[in-house]
Amino acid sequence: MAGPDATYAAFAAARGLEPVPALGLGALTPLLVESKHCQVEPAARGRLGGEVDGVVGHLAYTRNRTFRFNVALVDIPGSTALAPRLFCIRNGRSTRDDEFYGFEARHSKLWTESTALNDRYTISTSPYQDPNWMRQLFSPALVDYLATEPPADFSFELAYGALLGSVEDDDPGADGLAALCEATAHVAARIARECGE
Amino acid sequence: MQINRTGVGLIALFVLLGLAMCFGPALLGADLETSLIVGSTGAIFVLVGAGLALYARHAKGKAAHQDWIFQNGIKGSATILEVGNSHTTVNEMPLMKLKLELDVPGVGRSQVTRREVMPVFTANRMDAGLVLPAYANPENPAEFVLVW
Repeated sequence: MAGPDATYAAFAAARGLEPVPALGLGALTPLLVESKHCQVEPAARGRLGGEVDGVVGHLAYTRNRTFRFNVALVDIPGSTALAPRLFCIRNGRSTRDDEFYGFEARHSKLWTESTALNDRYTISTSPYQDPNWMRQLFSPALVDYLATEPPADFSFELAYGALLGSVEDDDPGADGLAALCEATAHVAARIARECGE
Repeated sequence: MQINRTGVGLIALFVLLGLAMCFGPALLGADLETSLIVGSTGAIFVLVGAGLALYARHAKGKAAHQDWIFQNGIKGSATILEVGNSHTTVNEMPLMKLKLELDVPGVGRSQVTRREVMPVFTANRMDAGLVLPAYANPENPAEFVLVW
């Protein structure tokens, strides 16, 4: 056993997660859709951090070149009615290499109110996302957290109640997976709390 | 739909190449027949570029109107009742047909149908029972922006 398999086995054992050889997550977020079968392999499920449960797994797909991510998926069902889509993607990350169309559906708008976040992330939402809700979600505490705490490549996608945190790495090691899970759980808890208020 | 940088580049390419083909042969001293053949092809390029530019302008105007509804509209919700795929795609994005129950405070509930071009992942997530935010035009509540 080597690479991600060994890392995930060790990580699952250390954190008390249920190891799963492979798991189909479904076409829940744009990153998962890029992968043909939306499958993570290997994977583990259980408590990711705090009070947040979910799935963590290795995602690989090829679109002209091979992309390898480690992802953590959490359900936040109450978020759809307030924020159908919210993407916070590390600046410069590429998830596909074959998009050449001149017209596209008007499906996103950049949210640029935080310079601290702009330095690190590209944040986009539906063009008609409530800006007041966004300001409340991105409190100074969350902005400070996202700007300083998560792993270097951390990004997240919230789409219709599914939150997917990710880092692009062949094998981040157990510490890298722990950091991914902690960051995803932190963001999930913050979004869930904001949706509940 | 909205134009992106690739689209701007394509329009510029069509127009500039078309203009070059219209006037280039004559300026370079080509014979009349060659100038007419190349020039007429260039004119078609210019017309295609102009058509795309007009479409982009129309899309921009429509987007501005939707922005107005979003900023000035009445916030409500839209519950998806039925999802249909038209089997038509625009740049790999499916055109979805949604039957919705629109609930706008002060206006009431109504059933409406909406067609939207959506990215694949969004289209896959549209399902009966999903509740989405919506903003209705205060001057004409039948006109609304669906937040998806």
